[in-house]
Amino acid sequence: MAERFDPVELELFSNRLVAVAEEMGTVLCQAGFSPNIKERRDFSCAIFDAAGGMVSHAAHIPVHLGSTPLSVKAAIEAMTADSGDVIAGDIMLLNDPYSGGTHLPDLTVVAPVFLAGHDKSSRAGRARRPFAWLAARAHHADVGGHAPGSMALCTDIHQEGFRIPPVHLYRGGRVVRETMELFLANTRVPAERMGDLDAQVAALRSGDQRLSELATRFGPGRITRAMKELQDYSRRLVEAMIKELPVGEFSARDSLDNDGIDPQPLRLSVTLRRRGKRLEIDLRDCAPQCRGPLNANLAVTTSAVFYVVACLAGSRVPANRGMMEPVDILTTPGTLVDCRFPAAVAGGNVETSQRIVDLLLRALARALPGRIPAASSGTMNNLTLGGWDVKRDCHFAYYETVAGGAGAGPSGPGCHALHTHMTNTLNTPVELLESYYPLRVIRYGLRRRSGGTGKHRGGDGIDREIEVLVPATLTLLADRRQEGPWGLAGGKPGLPGRDTVSSGGRTKAIASKTELQLAAGDRVRVQTPGGGGWGRVGRKVAGKKKRG
Amino acid sequence: MQSNAQGRLEVGVDTGGTFTDVVYRRSDGSSGWCKLLSTPDDPGRAVLDALARLFDGTPPDRLGYGTTIATNAMLQRQGARTALVTTAGFEDLLEIGRQARPELYRLEPRREQPLLAGNMSFGLAERSAADGKALLRPDKAALDQLASKLRRARVESIAVCLLHSHVNPAHEKAVGEALRHLGVPVTLSQQLSPEPGEYERASTAVANAFVRPRVERHLKDLALKCGTPDFRVMQSSGGCLGVKTVSREPVRSMLSGPAGGVAAAFEVMRAVHLEQAVTLDMGGTSTDVTLINGTIPLTNTTVIGGIPLRCPAVDIHTVGAGGGSIASVDAGGALKVGPASAGATPGPACYGQGSEPTVTDANALLGRLAGGGLLGGEMPVDLARARRVMTRLGKRMGGLSAERAAEGVLRIVEANMERAIRRITIERGQDPRGATLLGFGGAAGLHACAVADSLQMASVLLPCNPGLLSAGGVLEGSFSRDLRAALSLQDPDIGELRQRCLALEKQARAELLQQGCQPGRIRLSRSVGLRYLGQSSEIEVPLKPGFRAAFDREHHRLFHHHDDSRPVEACALHVTATEARRRKRRTVATVGRSRTPTPAHNVSVYLEGRKRRLPLYRRDDLVMGDRFAGPALVTEYSSTSLIATGWTARVDGESNLRLEKDGG
Repeated sequence: MAERFDPVELELFSNRLVAVAEEMGTVLCQAGFSPNIKERRDFSCAIFDAAGGMVSHAAHIPVHLGSTPLSVKAAIEAMTADSGDVIAGDIMLLNDPYSGGTHLPDLTVVAPVFLAGHDKSSRAGRARRPFAWLAARAHHADVGGHAPGSMALCTDIHQEGFRIPPVHLYRGGRVVRETMELFLANTRVPAERMGDLDAQVAALRSGDQRLSELATRFGPGRITRAMKELQDYSRRLVEAMIKELPVGEFSARDSLDNDGIDPQPLRLSVTLRRRGKRLEIDLRDCAPQCRGPLNANLAVTTSAVFYVVACLAGSRVPANRGMMEPVDILTTPGTLVDCRFPAAVAGGNVETSQRIVDLLLRALARALPGRIPAASSGTMNNLTLGGWDVKRDCHFAYYETVAGGAGAGPSGPGCHALHTHMTNTLNTPVELLESYYPLRVIRYGLRRRSGGTGKHRGGDGIDREIEVLVPATLTLLADRRQEGPWGLAGGKPGLPGRDTVSSGGRTKAIASKTELQLAAGDRVRVQTPGGGGWGRVGRKVAGKKKRG
Repeated sequence: MQSNAQGRLEVGVDTGGTFTDVVYRRSDGSSGWCKLLSTPDDPGRAVLDALARLFDGTPPDRLGYGTTIATNAMLQRQGARTALVTTAGFEDLLEIGRQARPELYRLEPRREQPLLAGNMSFGLAERSAADGKALLRPDKAALDQLASKLRRARVESIAVCLLHSHVNPAHEKAVGEALRHLGVPVTLSQQLSPEPGEYERASTAVANAFVRPRVERHLKDLALKCGTPDFRVMQSSGGCLGVKTVSREPVRSMLSGPAGGVAAAFEVMRAVHLEQAVTLDMGGTSTDVTLINGTIPLTNTTVIGGIPLRCPAVDIHTVGAGGGSIASVDAGGALKVGPASAGATPGPACYGQGSEPTVTDANALLGRLAGGGLLGGEMPVDLARARRVMTRLGKRMGGLSAERAAEGVLRIVEANMERAIRRITIERGQDPRGATLLGFGGAAGLHACAVADSLQMASVLLPCNPGLLSAGGVLEGSFSRDLRAALSLQDPDIGELRQRCLALEKQARAELLQQGCQPGRIRLSRSVGLRYLGQSSEIEVPLKPGFRAAFDREHHRLFHHHDDSRPVEACALHVTATEARRRKRRTVATVGRSRTPTPAHNVSVYLEGRKRRLPLYRRDDLVMGDRFAGPALVTEYSSTSLIATGWTARVDGESNLRLEKDGG
């Protein structure tokens, strides 16, 4: 075994490897077709070692963090299952939450990296082991299913959209037409899908090129070792973080409003245990999986844990396999946080993942008082509008997540109108939205005074109202509509969210998980939750308190 | 205008955070410079002092001015009491931003403090549709009410950004008319940036309005006191404009200083017929890099201090790696350098105040500052102090010697620069290997060879007086005016696009004539922003026959795929009018004779893991044709350069140091 990298080499190589994933992201963003990728940047790119262990993940969308490794694992298994042949230029495509995916709109492409110099040694035709793996994931605005946008209120994975287990999208550098056409036939906006898939493939190509260049410049052995070193480095950073936690057990509970099908709240609970250098996250006592689409598979749950660990360890820790090595996650199969086929999952990725973060932070607030902020909005407020665009004579599917208030913390008030925790997508500018889709934005502002009071005030949520100019299907997937995000250290909770539809002069409240047909001229208004407050207010201010 | 005895006098001024540099040239061929400490409370004072000192009250015939006044006013939030007028229902546009947070893994995310005070956004009942159709025209009553609200709010400057104003400017113009009687400057967003994206457009307009009164006062006052008939200000795009235009659109001069540096580098390249170079401008806290490929590259979006600005600016990539960058070892055992910087105070340890190890301390410890310190010895170097902090760092690096630790620090900072250059070259499909690395700013000469080596670049150019280069660029600055327009045309032909350019061309030409340009000297260039129909990012290509094919090629180069059968959409036009300057016909002096210069003395430098004696040359002693091999040090007033092992230096006809990789 070679000696450990010195601090200089470690820094040099970690930057080089992280840069590869970042560059893949740049390419994907610029080449992307749909507003969801180009404007909102709902995608992630990562590189993996020969065994499929994550090496670096560009800081894009946290909810993809823990789940891309499972995509790569599933792709490798599928590729080696029958013939066992993995050749240069192969690209696998998948979205099935039950084999490596998260929810159906997230399409992941996975490719092996072979080094040019090695090809000569394997002329015999025997498959070689790839030097590394690459993955690029993007959220596609529609992958079929019973409502445009594929984020509907379903009770079964089969209703949610087109399922793709790991299949070849490219074989030996040539596109597999059958795969492409089968998929395109099952989405409402095929041209846009093809453009976005091309962009994902371009990201893989650029990653392949950069990684090969690194291997040529420094030698494959050195790069392989650098990958290992980088994973060890992340592990050490996380171990240093764990050492700061007090020894003991810290439990917390939280809940989701409901699953959109059955009315009762869904319980989540966690117990954190520090055992020496390791951290155990026990989620075994969460509610059983639900009928509605709020189920999270283990990949999504892992992502949420990943995110919290990364926040605690400091923003500079490279996200990779080493980071999760000192962390054990315990779940019970068949629960909300580790669902089984054929549970519906569209909202697990976007809603349940947020609640798992709230839950973990609540438990950590007991372990590390004075470091953890109050709850943020805790929902992505997923709004989908789709239908037939009369003017352009084609289907449209608009998908957007609406930000909310950030929780206040020990160091200051929470930010207004910010995407927090598991997502960090940008908004679609109103001017672009209105030129792409038959929609008009009526208002887009802060929901004033929705943040919880406290020594530090929670951030305010958003108030957004959209009019549909053609008949359209509305799908809303949101939460924290019953109880607002909790405050901490004496701070009050933020206001819960509220949603209404106005039609023919009448306005009525709608449920947080809704599927509804809108007529041309109808308006939907989403008011997102404010963040929780932090700290007790002083006596004078307390007299003016507005709500409890 | 030959007002001076020794002929026409042209001056370039660059005000920086620490120094104000002034360079001049007379038509009789004489030239000179002056470097004074800046006077941030009133930046004009240092300029006037320098002029008085150099010219004894005679006003220059032309003065080019590179200024940080707009940037500083914005970054320090010392601007006017500004109001934003926007479409009713969208008053919180700037507070919402794009909803995203700058750092992903941070328990308590933070945002930049906005330029607007909380209650200074005013909604107006009006609306346009995406195609420009007026859905609701602002009526007189609403406008009157708005005006009185703004008056009551005692605003000093107003920005107007209405939805879809880039396709329907009429409503913004109506607001401008209605507010004129308030007597405060009004900035209309579509005049600065006629492009979609309401947040970025509003942000640009508000930044402009915020700094406008201050910039206007400063420029008018300084121009008056200088008494110069031709007072021009360097814009972020690398071209100059007169006081009146810059006062109206100060947001276009936010990157005035760095743009002056790039413009100067471009002049250096022209003088020696160099087509392609990567500029490396290394200062105390950061390093700017730019790829020049026959022309100065422009971008239309820059972000300064977290605030997005949509206006043409030199495409500069900045990394937090400079002489003052602080080195530390983190909990996982990796050596980090920057982005934290010791700045001017406390500064690097070796200047006597700081206690954190910095890049400059590493250079000092290894003997690369040649013991002389900065500015010809005016700032002495405390070597013992540098050694103390480096020894401490070495201990944290697992017991390395101070020298090894210092070498590590330099390797990291050089890798950060390498990464920055890769970003603007390889990641954009450009091979840096054929380009020359052009280093300037105080510290670039110490790192240029190492950075070039890591990118396999075989030549380096170090101009004379690298610390004064920006002022020289401002001195040479030509007038230029960039104008843009948004459009949406599917598969347009060239005639149609050219037709659409005419209005922009007319305006740009008129503005240059107003500045005093001669009609025969105005050059126009046109480009078009294209994308595949349905795509949302555009690529700009020159508007000339074959532009469609050029777009496909560019798309392929950037994204590894293209489709020439797919329809394209033209979404932006860009016209630039530039003043072609009469240049003195330069003959690059061919170096007939080669001489090996004699070093001033030898110095002890720690290099490649061991202590060595290196020849030290004084830049002032070197003449055209001199040639010597690395390793060697070259010192001059504001800088020290290291010629690394494997490199050979020669002095060209423009007194530049040209370094070539041996066997390259």
